Amino acid sequence: MFFLRNMERRVTLHPSFFCKDAHDLVIDNLLRDVEGSCSGNYYIISIMDTFDISEGRILPGTGMAEFTVGYRAVVWRPFKGETVDGIVVSVNPQGFFAQVGPLKLFVSSHLIPDDIRWDPNATPAQFTNNEDINITPGSSVRVKILGTRSEVGEMWAIGSIKEDYLGALQDASETFGGAALDED
Amino acid sequence: MASLDHNRSDESDEEDFNPAPADVSDEEPDQESKDVKRARSPDGEEADAPDSNAQPLEENDEDEEDEEDDAPARGGDDDEEDDEEDEDDEDEDVQQVTHLERSGHRRKRRRDKRNAFFDIEAEVDDEDEGEDDEKDGEEIEDFIDNAHPDDVADSGGMEDDRRHRELDRRREMEQSLDAEKQAEILRQRYGNRRSAKGLADSAVTPKRLLLPSVDDPSIWGVRCKEGKEREVVYSIQKRIEERIGTKEELAITSAFERGGVDSIMKGLIYVEAQRSTDVIKALDGMLNVYPRTKMILVEIKDMPELFRVSKTPNLEPDAWVRLKKPAKHAGDLAQVIDVTENGLEARVRFIPRLDYGVRDELISNDGKRKRPGMPGPRPPQRLFSEVEARRRHPRNIQGNPTTNTWTYMGEEFERGFQVKDIKIQQLVVRDVAPSLEEVSRFTSGAEDGTENLDLKALAASLKDNNNLVTYLPGDVIEVYAGEQKGVVGKATNVQGDIVTISVTEGDLAGQTIEVPTKGLRKRFSVGDHVKVIGGKFRDEVGTVVKISEDRVTILTDHTNTEVTVFSKDLREASDMGGQGSLGQYSLHDLVQLDPTTVGCVVKVDRESLVVLDQHGATRQVMPSQISNKLPQRKTAVAADRNGAEIRLDDVVKEAVGMQRQGKIIHIHRSYVFLHTNETTENSGVFVTKASVVNTIAAKGGRLNNASAGPDLTQMNPALRRNTNEQPQKPVQKSFGKDRLIDQTVVVKKGSYKGLLGIVKDTTDTHARVELHTKSKIITVDKNHLNVKDKKTGQTIDINSRGRGGPPGGYSGSRVPGYQQSGGRTPMANWGSRTPALGGGSRTPAWKADSGGSRTPAWAMGDGSRTVNPYDGSRTAYGGSGSRTPAWQPGGRTPAPGDAFGAGSRTPAYGGGDSWGSKTPAYSAPTPGVSATDPWGYTPGATGSAYDAPTPGAGLTAPSGGALSAPTPGGYGSAATPAAGAPTPAGAWQGGWGAADTAPTPAASAPTPGGYGVAPTPGAGPTYDDDD
Repeated sequence: MFFLRNMERRVTLHPSFFCKDAHDLVIDNLLRDVEGSCSGNYYIISIMDTFDISEGRILPGTGMAEFTVGYRAVVWRPFKGETVDGIVVSVNPQGFFAQVGPLKLFVSSHLIPDDIRWDPNATPAQFTNNEDINITPGSSVRVKILGTRSEVGEMWAIGSIKEDYLGALQDASETFGGAALDED
Repeated sequence: MASLDHNRSDESDEEDFNPAPADVSDEEPDQESKDVKRARSPDGEEADAPDSNAQPLEENDEDEEDEEDDAPARGGDDDEEDDEEDEDDEDEDVQQVTHLERSGHRRKRRRDKRNAFFDIEAEVDDEDEGEDDEKDGEEIEDFIDNAHPDDVADSGGMEDDRRHRELDRRREMEQSLDAEKQAEILRQRYGNRRSAKGLADSAVTPKRLLLPSVDDPSIWGVRCKEGKEREVVYSIQKRIEERIGTKEELAITSAFERGGVDSIMKGLIYVEAQRSTDVIKALDGMLNVYPRTKMILVEIKDMPELFRVSKTPNLEPDAWVRLKKPAKHAGDLAQVIDVTENGLEARVRFIPRLDYGVRDELISNDGKRKRPGMPGPRPPQRLFSEVEARRRHPRNIQGNPTTNTWTYMGEEFERGFQVKDIKIQQLVVRDVAPSLEEVSRFTSGAEDGTENLDLKALAASLKDNNNLVTYLPGDVIEVYAGEQKGVVGKATNVQGDIVTISVTEGDLAGQTIEVPTKGLRKRFSVGDHVKVIGGKFRDEVGTVVKISEDRVTILTDHTNTEVTVFSKDLREASDMGGQGSLGQYSLHDLVQLDPTTVGCVVKVDRESLVVLDQHGATRQVMPSQISNKLPQRKTAVAADRNGAEIRLDDVVKEAVGMQRQGKIIHIHRSYVFLHTNETTENSGVFVTKASVVNTIAAKGGRLNNASAGPDLTQMNPALRRNTNEQPQKPVQKSFGKDRLIDQTVVVKKGSYKGLLGIVKDTTDTHARVELHTKSKIITVDKNHLNVKDKKTGQTIDINSRGRGGPPGGYSGSRVPGYQQSGGRTPMANWGSRTPALGGGSRTPAWKADSGGSRTPAWAMGDGSRTVNPYDGSRTAYGGSGSRTPAWQPGGRTPAPGDAFGAGSRTPAYGGGDSWGSKTPAYSAPTPGVSATDPWGYTPGATGSAYDAPTPGAGLTAPSGGALSAPTPGGYGSAATPAAGAPTPAGAWQGGWGAADTAPTPAASAPTPGGYGVAPTPGAGPTYDDDD
């Protein structure tokens, strides 16, 4: 789920940038450091604006200046139980991995409906029910998140498609294209 | 174990002394009754038997009749049947039912009631079912067939259908009744039952009423051969059958044994009879039993003790045991292959300890006689070797090489293991706790070298020794057995095996209950993050993907593989998980296996590591086999297929083979260890040669090695300029005789700093200088020399002399003054000012500002040398460039204008002197730049910023003749993208803006045209590489 969130961050600036545009540099640094990063529970998608850039404070020892910057950012936090759209990255007999925007997600074969089976003979190997559903790398899938796990700088999730309205999206480009893009 | 069951069933049979005839007739009308009658007919006969007048004896009859029922009905094969039946007895009552159709039914029914007396096997379900059926029969007698459902089940396919229909009908009817009525029926049904049955209800019957009294038959213990207890009982059973209905019918009530490996009651069988003579008579002439010796009369109060149940461990094939007996092997691990039928011996395999007669020889050499069983060092465990055996004792070995089974010195060997039948009492069955090391020795013996570790058996063995589940406060616990079945709660307190649960779900929610651990299991839900706290997978952390009963499948965090463990071995994990380490080695560490081999840890087990070595082979190693851990070198660099630099964390892809792509986790010599999430093999780690990979994405554009700390040379533009200068030096090739030769120079760096000398000889980079002070010739880097005028002692630039000027030329790059002015090369310096000049020439303001520039004299360039070179962009130095003919055409033709326009960075450059002017370049980094460089001026970006002027230089270079020193290549590539991009108009604007902003940094708002195009993304990498 996306949120708009006010946050604060300390940015350090090397002395060689001490000039009248230092604040711009601080913001640049902030954007570079923060946008697209994952802070445990959520991903920071985009910084909307910044405010309250503090006076620089020289850190003893290094000579770097530290600025405290408040900013407002769009963050995305995947929740347990949330349904998301993703794109399958790899498929193996144990299940498949999908990418939901920045989030890596695994759907175990236990959490795939029983009629969708692993077919190693297809090229590329896929999960299929031999009818309309084929899950191969690149397919769009709709997955329900069953659990998330935070690591340093990234998150992981376990998903399930063993429920109604979950699984491979038939015509991802037309029907759900927008949604999928949003997630990305 | 088996013996126990046997006894139990014996006993059970005896308990069944309360047949309810009324019931029988009630519930078995029709065809059922026929069976019963037939089955009961021997009963009747028996009743006439002499001994069976007393009430207790009736039970006896009933008991024996179990077997006897069949005898008349079955005819010839009853013996076999009986044997089978006995085995069934030992196993499952129900099986018997299916086995013996007719008598089975009766037995089943009796058992139901017998259960009432027998706590261990309280088959409540059966009883209820039976009652239901009976009642149903009563209720709706005319509606459905009153056949007993069990019978129906027994009679197979035909009846099956009927039974289903019956069930359907019954359900239908129950549904049709309204709730009240139904309740009434239930009340009647069960209310009546309770009161009517009385003693039959096991829950109510006091136990003491079940205890034997003086009226009951006595039990005698009779000596028998140890280990033959069960056989004796079988013989008795057989004898009973043989003599049934004859005059010599046995007068005993029951016989049982409590033998077993650890039992104190082994060597005895117990016979229940009214008189001891009955026992003697019954056992007379039987093998292995000695009724003539003193029989032990079991006291009444001891009788119940005889039936006390103690669970004996179950030995199953593939289980692990330890040997006690062959002293040589005491304590060795062995694997059960098979258990003999009587349950007394097990065939086990273990690793032999053979010395192949080596010790014998030693002893005989000593001249002493070999004493069997003499204590000595026991040989180490080694798999059997046919070769060695043949060498010493060629006669004592025989066998089959194809199956790899041998007999050597009377022992059997299979595939290297010794195989032996060993009495179970000589095996340690409990608390075996095989270590992985021991177990792996068994698996390595597989012929094809494959691991065939039976994890299930191992798990079973391991499970046994820590069957004490530990619950901790906070665990979510589910009660799966007992009255509170289904209750879910959180453990609040654990004391011994009583867990206090505060219930969180269901009707009891909010209450606190105490439950024994026996019927508890931990509860998890899919998606939980858990840690394994016991068993083989201990310390793995993962996410629950599946739960079935108490087996939980988790996807491990480290290896993305699925493992199934018992829920008792799991705990909710804290958010961040996992050790993934064994001692000092953790997952993905690079370790040294031997001097030539390194490997990456791809799996961490409890006692071992799996390591992927540099050749791509995995091997399982103990931590002790690793010589050391190689620290991760953050600065490690390798060259990829194209010669581009690759570092840790770069994403590369194989150009050959499987074309795998991964992130570099280690670089070791020419090997790179990569990690990918695409595959779970080796936990995603694979190894390849650095020379076969292509860079896909360098981390952070290569320059963002934040870990290395801020790189000052890159941060401060002033410093960086010098670094950029370095690579250009070697390019300044001179042709013909080096002008430096014979020059008077002063050394400006190193230990000879400050000394004056004369250059005797030079190479491209170095000069041999004969020092004035002492007659010594030293070799010095040319860059470390200042050329001095022979007469004046002034520093001069010899390179400039080519232009015909005096030796004290102005534009040599080595002239300190010149360098300070910011130009890397005369060209660059010169060029940088050109736009300003050009711009200025067109703007009145500019003209006014630097009036001198327009004077012909100035244009002639003579005066340039007189002006202070440090003066900034408008100094004569800047002007110096204007003197070159090349500039003039450049200034007026659109092409050079372009170049400078593109070089709208020029102001930045010009600002090399003053901070403010630089700012625009930094404060408005284009996205392209910022993407790769956090500071906005990576060498690439800055390179372009600063090099931008060089096109101008390049242009002018040819005209400059000697000034052509700068590498055209470098400039060319740098300039091209920048120069090509802007339209002339834009270029002009840029140039103009630049000129304008130079003096007024405040107004230096980035000129859109200039910045938009300047750092073309293409340019960045080019510079990267050049750098």
